[in-house]
Amino acid sequence: MGLKIIKKILSGNQAISIGAYKGNARFASGYPGTPSSEILEHFKNYPNVIAQWAPNEKAGLEAALGASIAGVRSFATMKHVGLNVAADPLMTASYTGVNAGFVVVSADDPGMHSSQNEQDNRRYAKFAKVPLIEPSDPYEAMAFMQYAFVVSEKFDTPVILRSTTRISHSLGVVQFDPRTLDNEKELSLAKDFKKYVMIPANAIERHRVVIDRLAKLKEFSNQTPINKLEKGKTDFGIVTSSMAYNYVKELIPDANIFKVGFSYPMPVDKIREFAKDLNRVIVVEELEPFMEEELKIAGIEAEGKKYFPENGEFNLDIVEEGLKKAGVIRERATTVYFDGFELPKRPPALCPGCPHRPIFDILHSRKDIFITGDIGCYTLGCLPPLSAMHTTVCMGASISMGVGASKVQKEDKVVAIIGDSTFFHTGIQPLIDAQINGANLTVIILDNRITAMTGGQPDPGSGFTLKGEEVNPIRIYELAKAIGIERVFEIDQYDYKATKELINREIDTDALSVIIPTRPCVLAPKRIKDRQLVVIPDKCVGCKRCLRIACPAIDFKNNKAIIDEFLCTGCEVCKNVCPVEGAIVHKEEK
Amino acid sequence: MNIVSVLFVGVGGDGIITASNIVAQACMLAGYDVKKSEIHGMSQRGGSVSASVRFGDKVYSPTDKLGSVQYMLATEKIEMLRWVRYLNRDSVVVVNDRIVPIIGQTIDEDRIDNMVEQVQTKTLVKRKFLLDSEKLGNPRLSNTIMLGVLSNFLEIDEKYFHDAIDLILPEKLRTINQSAFSYGKNLIYDNTSGE
Repeated sequence: MGLKIIKKILSGNQAISIGAYKGNARFASGYPGTPSSEILEHFKNYPNVIAQWAPNEKAGLEAALGASIAGVRSFATMKHVGLNVAADPLMTASYTGVNAGFVVVSADDPGMHSSQNEQDNRRYAKFAKVPLIEPSDPYEAMAFMQYAFVVSEKFDTPVILRSTTRISHSLGVVQFDPRTLDNEKELSLAKDFKKYVMIPANAIERHRVVIDRLAKLKEFSNQTPINKLEKGKTDFGIVTSSMAYNYVKELIPDANIFKVGFSYPMPVDKIREFAKDLNRVIVVEELEPFMEEELKIAGIEAEGKKYFPENGEFNLDIVEEGLKKAGVIRERATTVYFDGFELPKRPPALCPGCPHRPIFDILHSRKDIFITGDIGCYTLGCLPPLSAMHTTVCMGASISMGVGASKVQKEDKVVAIIGDSTFFHTGIQPLIDAQINGANLTVIILDNRITAMTGGQPDPGSGFTLKGEEVNPIRIYELAKAIGIERVFEIDQYDYKATKELINREIDTDALSVIIPTRPCVLAPKRIKDRQLVVIPDKCVGCKRCLRIACPAIDFKNNKAIIDEFLCTGCEVCKNVCPVEGAIVHKEEK
Repeated sequence: MNIVSVLFVGVGGDGIITASNIVAQACMLAGYDVKKSEIHGMSQRGGSVSASVRFGDKVYSPTDKLGSVQYMLATEKIEMLRWVRYLNRDSVVVVNDRIVPIIGQTIDEDRIDNMVEQVQTKTLVKRKFLLDSEKLGNPRLSNTIMLGVLSNFLEIDEKYFHDAIDLILPEKLRTINQSAFSYGKNLIYDNTSGE
C-alpha cells in the first residue's frame, strides 16, 4: 500500500480516536461524559475494534485493563469526575502494570461548561505514580494518543492522556497517515500470579517496582521529544502545556518556551537546563499549580500562580493579563470598543416535550418536601421557575443522600430524583442501601431509556449498544423488585393527573417507594413530534400558569400565552396545567 | 497574514455548529490553517451558544480576544449583543433580525433594537433572513443565506464555500443550501450602520 496522507479538520476527540486506532488499540470502554463522549462514538466506526459503553467509569476502566492483560491494546475514556469513580482500579492498575498498552483518557472541564467541579486530573497521575501526557491541539491529540500506547508498554504502566474541553471540542487541520502501527510483538493472555494478583504479599513487591519505574520515567521525561524547547528571543522563559501553550504562542510569538507534553513526571533536568541562561521562568498552566510545584520541589525558581488564576478556563485575555502582571509584556494589546449591555441571561432549559417537565412541575407544587437531585438533563429542574431540587453533588448521590436526610429529619418528606443512566451508573447500590436500612424515601427514576445529557448514548435500559446491536434492556422495575422493594410503580407521566396523584400518595406514605416515569427522551434515539398545540387568545386569561413549566415553546406577549409552532411537540403538559378548559387545544381543533 | 476571526453566536439548536463547520472547511480548502472552537453539553439545551473560526498562515488559539473579531454571524439579536465586547469598529456583523424568547423574561424588542443600533461597526447587516428563507421554500436556510452575505467580505474564493457545503451537509440538503448561499451572496441589503 502506498503512502496516502489525509488532510482533515478534526476535533480533539476525533483525533484521539484516530490516534488510538493508529496505535493499534482494539478494545475501548468508557462512560459518556462531556467533553469525552465523542471519542468512543468515533472509535466504534473502525473495523475490527470492540468499543462499548460501560455502566460507569470504574467498570469501563477495569474492562480495558482486563483486555490489556489479555493481550490487546486498550483504553478507557471518561470526563474528569469519572476518574473519581474509576480511581479505585487506577491506583492498583499502577501496581499490576499492563500487558498490552493501556491508556486512560481523562477529559477535564476547566470553566465547568458542563460539570459540577473543575478538578485538575493531572493530580491523579502523581497520586497513582503513572505517566501523564497532555496534547495541546488535535494534531497532538492524535499523535500523543498513539505514542501513549508505546510508553505504556515500554514502562509497563497505565498512561493517563489528559484532554480538556477546549482540546476535545476544538477543531484543527490534521495531516496524517491513516495506517496503523505494526505491533512490535504479538502479545497473548498473561497469567502472572505475582504481577496481577494484588494480595498484600504481591502488592508489597509491586509497589517497589512502581517506585523504580517512576525513577525511570523521570529520566525518560527528560528525553522524550514531546517535551521540547522552542527557542525564542526573550530574556525570560515560559513553561507551559495543553491549551495554555496556544495562548502563549499567539501572545508572545518570539518567547523562549519550554513546551511540556509529558507532564508527569516533569522533565526537571531539561527545564533546569532551559532556565540556566534566562532571567526568570514563568509557568503558564490552567487550573492547579501542578507543574509549578514540581519545578519548585526540584529547586527551580519558577513563578506562576501569583500571576494567573487557579480557577476557571484560560483564554487569550486572561493569559495576556497574567503576562502583564508578571511584567513580561508591557501593555495589553486589547481594546474593548463596545461595552457590554445589561442583558437577560439565557440559561439552558429542558427541551420542549421533555418528559421530565411534568415531574418537576408536580414536585414544585409541594412545599413540604426535600428533593435530592442528581446529574443529567433533569438537573435543570433546579432552575426557576421549576425550582424543584435542593442538592446535586455527583453521579448517583441523589438516593444515598436521600437515605441520610430522610433518616435524620422529621419535618419534610424526602424525594430522591435520578435518571436511568445515572441510576445504572451509581444509583443501584444506594437503592439497596435505602432498602436494607429502611429509609422512608420516595425515589423517582426518570426512565427515558437514554443518556440524554451527553447527546443520546445508549445505557443498559436502552435495548441497544454503542455499536447499535440489539440487546435485552434491563428493566428498572424488575431490578427494584429484585432488591425487595414492595412499592414500585411505573407510570406514563403524560397522564399528568394520575402521575400527580401517584407522586403525592407515595410522598405521603411512610415507606420506601420507587416511581418510574416511563416516557422516552423526546430527542433520542428518535425525535418525537406529536400533534401541535395552540393557545386560543380569547380564552387565555393571562394567568401565566403555563409559563411555570419552563417550556421553551411558550412565550407571553400582550398578556396572552403563545405557543411556537416549530418548537411544540404536543406533550400537552401546558394543556394539563392550564386552569381554563379549552384555552389550549390541538391546532386542528382551533 | 494576521489571523482572521469569524465568531458565530446564537441559541442552542440554531445551527451554529454546522454553519461554523462550513466556514472552517472552506478556509482549509482555500489553503489556510484553521482552528475552531465550540461548546457542547449544557449549552445545547436552548442556552447561549458560540463557535469561533480562526484562520491564517498558522493559528494557535481556537478562541478570540476581546475587541479582535473581524466578522460575526449572529442568528439572534440578544446573542449578538451578548458578544459585542469581541467586536471592533471595523467588524462586519451579519445578524438575523429575530429574537428567541427567554424563559421567564419579558423582552422589549424596541429596547433590543435600540442597543443593536448603538453597535456602530463598519458594516452591520440586520435583516429578517427568515423571510428570505421562506421565500426559498424552507424556513431553515437563514444561516446559509447569512453565510452567503458574509462570504462577500471574506478573502476566500466562492468555490470553496460551495465545496464545503457539499462536504459538510447531507446529500438531500446540498442543492437547496447551494442556492441559499448564492442567494445570500447576491443579496442587495441595507447596511444598518449607513456607511
